[in-house]
Amino acid sequence: MTGSTHPKRAMRHIPEEELHAYLDQGLSRSQCVEIESHLAACPSCQAARDAIAALRDRTTALLAKLAPPRGFPPAFESLRRRAAVQATARRRRIQIAAWAASVVVAVGLGWMANHLLTTQASPPRDLAGRTVARPPITAQAIPAAVVPSIKSSPPKSSPVVRRVSRGHATPTASDSDVKLTPVVAPPSLQLSSSVDAPHPEMELNGMWRTMSWDGAQAEAGDKLPHIDGLPVVRVQLQLLPTDQGKQPLMVVAQQLSSGEVIRTIEGPTNDVSHLLAQRTVSDQDPTSTRIDSNRVTGGPDRTMAMQRGDRMLVITGALPSDSLLAMIRRLNAEMRSK
Amino acid sequence: MDELEQLYQTTYTAVVRFLYRKVWDAERAEDLAQEVFVRALAHRPEKPRAWVFAVAANLARDEARAAMRRKRHLTLLKGDPVAQPTMEPAADTLVEHDERVASVQEALTTLTPRDREILLLWDAGLSYPEIAAQTGLALGAVGTTLARARRRLVEAHDRQHASKASHAAHS
Repeated sequence: MTGSTHPKRAMRHIPEEELHAYLDQGLSRSQCVEIESHLAACPSCQAARDAIAALRDRTTALLAKLAPPRGFPPAFESLRRRAAVQATARRRRIQIAAWAASVVVAVGLGWMANHLLTTQASPPRDLAGRTVARPPITAQAIPAAVVPSIKSSPPKSSPVVRRVSRGHATPTASDSDVKLTPVVAPPSLQLSSSVDAPHPEMELNGMWRTMSWDGAQAEAGDKLPHIDGLPVVRVQLQLLPTDQGKQPLMVVAQQLSSGEVIRTIEGPTNDVSHLLAQRTVSDQDPTSTRIDSNRVTGGPDRTMAMQRGDRMLVITGALPSDSLLAMIRRLNAEMRSK
Repeated sequence: MDELEQLYQTTYTAVVRFLYRKVWDAERAEDLAQEVFVRALAHRPEKPRAWVFAVAANLARDEARAAMRRKRHLTLLKGDPVAQPTMEPAADTLVEHDERVASVQEALTTLTPRDREILLLWDAGLSYPEIAAQTGLALGAVGTTLARARRRLVEAHDRQHASKASHAAHS
């Protein structure tokens, strides 16, 4: 910068970069005043300034040749709409993530609450003697119409929390070392042979792979959840892109001799609860979901879930809940022994 | 009219030009410029003008990297030795409106990336403090860099002209 005393300023010429900055209006007002007062008395700096001004103009003229063919800018309104669409998509992603997290928390709280309830439960009932535990194999070939498809619906609420409050009415675990959550499925959770149109917000469902029993066994080994002795109708593995290396969510549908299809589901806790929640639309009639242990077939599907570490084991089917309970306990014991 | 819309009306062309001088594709430059303003609408930055050019520079950089990856991939497919990554447009991608345009383009590619960036930001209308904030350069160094960039651009351009003239004279 130029000196502060007049004689010094007169001697020292203005550096090139300062003249650039001066012409580019990149200097403070006081710096400009200083330079201008020097320029007024210094022909050499005046010449330098003129040369730099010419260079500057020349650069601008050269760069002006590098302009794209002039297009018409789109209306700002169209950009506003694009921004709004992107914001909605982003919000939805966040909402879904928050929803998934809330399900996990709700399930966790449900386990705790239920565990407390079960430890103070009424005298244990004998649940093991139910007839459906190991029925004979009857179906060699199962018609395609029986093959169930998963009814999916967008997450609307966290049904797990609601169900926990009904835990009083359900049979409870007879031994306190097994954590059980009796989960009553609403009527919408039914096996169906109809195929739903894909919902636009199915992204959380991931991709399902339907496999043969042998293929699935080769892949999942002993971890494949199933009831021994029942013909397998369908095996589905959910492929979650983020869960590489993790044992996937598995759904095994099996048919009882009565024709009912039960499904065993095993997978990471939040994935399983997520799946259950997705298949639940609403509880239209609370009374219809009350457990009625006298009903053997038909009626709404019931669901029994069991926490196993960070994974969850579920049995769902139109069976009395104590039958399901017996099955899930046996299944858990079997899987633990493997 | 909100601040961003006003900025859009006054700056859109400058942003397209700035991007064009980096990606050398007019249509792509327009797409990227629109993307910049869509992002600005979502972020509502405090200093929108500087922000817009900073994002434009980032998008152009990503674009250049992607182009380089594609080029390297193609090179690998052909079994040729891998070309060194460079931000400069390949000679065959230069869009030649006429010879004079091409010679300016070539002159621009002789600058260092930093000198070129600062020259283009200045030409896009950014102030010294804005250029300094965006490039991380000290405010006092902006003038020095611009002085060098301008000198080099004009020198490179004149050199090319001289060599072309002598080529024409020889042939």
